[in-house]
Formats: sequence, C-alpha cells, structure tokens
Amino acid sequence: MMSAHALIVEPFETLAFMRAALVAFLALALTNGVIGTLLVLRRMSLDGDVLGHAVMPGAAIGFLYAGPSPAWLSLGGLASGFAVAALARLITGERARHDAGLVAFYLVALSLGVVLVAWRGSNVDVMRVLFGTVLAIDRRALVQIAVVSSVIVLVVAALYRPLAVGAFDPAFLRAVGARAPYEAVFLALVVLALVASFQAFGTLLAVGPMLLPAAAARCWGLGVAASMALATGFGLAASVAGLLLSYHGNLPSGPAIVLAAGLLFGISAAATNSWRRLAPMIGRDA
Amino acid sequence: MTYFARFYHPRLASGSRVAPPSLDLRVSPAATGRGFADGRVLLHDVTVRYGRRIALEAVSGEFAAGSLTAVVGANGAGKSTLLAAIAGVVRLAGGVVQRAARQQLAYLPQLAAIDLDYPLTVSELITLGGWREFGPFRSPGTVLRARVAEVSEMVGLAGRLGRRIGELSVGELQRALFARLILQDAAVILLDEPFAAIDAQTISVLLDWVAQWHREGRTVIAVLHDLDLVRARFPSTVVLARRCVAWGATEAALSVMAA
Repeated sequence: MMSAHALIVEPFETLAFMRAALVAFLALALTNGVIGTLLVLRRMSLDGDVLGHAVMPGAAIGFLYAGPSPAWLSLGGLASGFAVAALARLITGERARHDAGLVAFYLVALSLGVVLVAWRGSNVDVMRVLFGTVLAIDRRALVQIAVVSSVIVLVVAALYRPLAVGAFDPAFLRAVGARAPYEAVFLALVVLALVASFQAFGTLLAVGPMLLPAAAARCWGLGVAASMALATGFGLAASVAGLLLSYHGNLPSGPAIVLAAGLLFGISAAATNSWRRLAPMIGRDA
Repeated sequence: MTYFARFYHPRLASGSRVAPPSLDLRVSPAATGRGFADGRVLLHDVTVRYGRRIALEAVSGEFAAGSLTAVVGANGAGKSTLLAAIAGVVRLAGGVVQRAARQQLAYLPQLAAIDLDYPLTVSELITLGGWREFGPFRSPGTVLRARVAEVSEMVGLAGRLGRRIGELSVGELQRALFARLILQDAAVILLDEPFAAIDAQTISVLLDWVAQWHREGRTVIAVLHDLDLVRARFPSTVVLARRCVAWGATEAALSVMAA
C-alpha cells in the first residue's frame, strides 16, 4: 500500500519535469478558466473547438520549417489560428452561422496538419502534435506559457465589462457606441490560450481543458466571476489528478487530464440536476 | 389634401419627401451623419441587406423631435431592421441616417435577442443604463446605484434586484429593460416589439412610461403588432413592407395599409 505522500507528493518532489508540468498546468488552468467560462457563456463552444484544430496546419508548417521546436510550432499555430478566426468572422459576419461549414473546416484543417507533419516527420511527431506531451514543457516553454497566460488574464480583466455585456446583449453594446472590436479581441484571446495549451495537450485536446472545467463550473449556476474562479479550481484539480494518473499508470498526460476534467463535468451535471429534482421534495429552493 | 400631405408613398413620389441633407454623406454609407442636438431622426434612402436579401429598401422620412411613432407591417417587412439601422447596429447598404449622437440614443432590442441564461442580476442589468456615465472601464458610482434602486421601484421591481434575469417572468424582464431605458435618459428611444408576449398589467405600466417619455419631449419609435393599441396611443405611424408604404398620421397611414 502506497502512502499518501508517495502517491501525491513524491512524483513532484523527485522529478523536475513533473514540477514544470505542474506549474504550467497551474497557469493554463487560470487562463482556461477565464477564457473557457466566457466561451461557454457566449455559446461558442463549437467555435473554440474549430479554433483549436485551426492551430494545426500552422503548427505543422512550423514543424516542417524548424522541426519540433516549441517556438516555431507556437508561431505557426498562432498564425493559422488568427487567420482562421479572421476568416470565420468574415464569413459569419455576412450571414447566419453555419455549423456544417465550421465542422467541415476543422476536419480539413486537422487532416492537412497531420499530412504535413507525417510527410517529413515520424509517427511520434504526429502523436506529439495531436496529443501534446508534458515532456515538451522545458524552461522556455514554461516562460512562454506563463507570459501568454498573464497577458490573457490581464486583457480580460481590463475588458471585462464589454466582454461580459457583449455576451448577453450584443445589440446594447453596439448601440451605446462601444466601437472597439471586442468580438475580435476575444477570438484572438481564445487563439492565444489554445496555442499556450497546445504544447501540453496537442491540437486535438487543447480545447478540452478549456471547455470542460468551464462547463462543469457553469452547472453550479454562479455569477460570471465566481464561475471563472470555480472553473480555474476544477481545471487545477483535473490537472493534478491527471498528472498523477499518468505518472502512476504510465499513461499519456493530456488525455488523463481531459478525462479527469470530464469526470468533474459529469459529477457537476449529475449533482446539480438531482438537486434541482430533490430540492422541491424537501422544501428548499432549487 | 393637407391630410395626405404628410404621406410618403414610394410609387407616387419617386424622389424623396424630405430634402436631401445639404452635406453629401454618401461617401461613407454606414455613417450616421452629423448628430442632431435634439431628438430628430432623418432617414434618407436607407437600404439594408442581409447577404443577398434586401431587408429594407430606400426608406426616407423624418421623425420629428418629440414625436411618438409606431412602426407596423407584416413579418419580415423590415421593422426591426429599421430600428437597428437608426440605432446604428446594422451596416447600411446605402443611404444615410441622421440623428442625435449615440449618447442620446436608447435601444430596446427584441427580448429574443437577450440571452436569459446569462448569470446576471436584475440590478446589474438595470445599472447598464448608466453606461454613458461609467463606460466600459470605470465602475458605477454611488449616485447611480441609488438611481437604480429608485428606478426599479418605479417600474415595480423593488425587491427583485438581487434576482437572476433568468428567474424573471417575461413581463418582469421587460420592466427591467424599461428601467434600463429610463436610466439611459435618451432623446431618442427605440423600442422593438416592447409588448410582445407581455401580460396586460405590465403593458399598461410600460405604456404609461411611453406616454411619459412623449410628454417629456423625447422621440419614441416603437415596432408594434397590435393595431388597436397603435390607434389608441400612437399619433403617427410608419407602415413598412420592405419599402415605406405609408408614413404619417396613424389613421391615414393604417387606412393605406388596409387598402
């Protein structure tokens, strides 16, 4: 029988890469909690998913150019993410949104990325771009994640009110003359957050730690700021649990973390649903 | 004839009923022109397209400062689009809207445009009416907070300030949105279907507010479906069918619609 210390603390105590991963996931949980909550509130989960995959072709081109260097992967991913966000805005600005088009688009983006990486790289490279790896988080990647996360949180803090109002009553925001392109700024933040996540989670899963903790927090019916805080907490818990699971079970870390976040979402949805049914029976407000 | 002099009928009048603005603003079609100091709203050949579909075609006319006007027409006639064009929330494909600056404008969108699942309290919703004062970055002051409490009482929402907007009935929500309009204290007030699916008691409270705004000399433009209500409470009416069919005194305008 393992002691709690050996189970929970020792992996981080003995292994530098586990500590680096922990710090990285802490920063990511914060940005993902903030951005993910706004995404869920804006009912833009699908857009987040599409943008997550849109990072792929650019990252692949970065890979072709410089091999598996984090900086070039990120730069490429950032470029194609921004390009797709701009394209999507251009298209959806002209007519009603078009789910089938978005889905078609992300399938093409994903396939294009895989083909490009597989063309010059190995299967290991493909897996790495698709699912990420904690081993990719070296000191430089850590600094990069920390800087991007800080920028995102600061920008959201500064633009909090227009972002929040634009989410539930966009006509009011435009009518009072808030002329800044908050929508575009928000999409840019989503792309930034996805690129920050992508080293650790890969393009397939980067949107998971963004949406799942936020969706789980949303179940509890809190205000916007409290939802963000709870989503961050959930993200953090899922990260630690997933990391330990992957360490002890010798499993890939990204999927383990996303599974843990999915479990939290399941528990949250089930708990709040049964409370809603139970509350009237015991004479409490739902 | 004087009766019909205020009429505008596109098939009869090929040109515009109003004199074109002296300043040619068509270089920037989305522009709202120079702001009027009062509540006058001037439309000149306003056209709006959604993709290839034309929602509003070459509508011209003038809402006098302090006028109270109903906008009527079938579904898809461009009523909401007209308000959105005046509010400046849709891009004009052509023409010019001249009106007061944005700070003097209050716009009530259709209830369906508001996301009720959003975790916002009634108090926060009403407080947004003070946007002109605090803008996107500063926080609402204590004077404004007191005003919010006062206004919420005036629309019959006292004691509901802490509730989530999702917990309100449709009537209560519309009262809250009217409270936001009251706080906005605007010269031009645009109401998009303010009484759709609202209970009779709330409608009478809200109509009193519309009358109050009219007495205060604000320009009120409302999209409505209930023609009896229009006849009873709105002195002038615009009838739309993508183009402007009639614009003038309510009885006369509605008789054109019936014909």
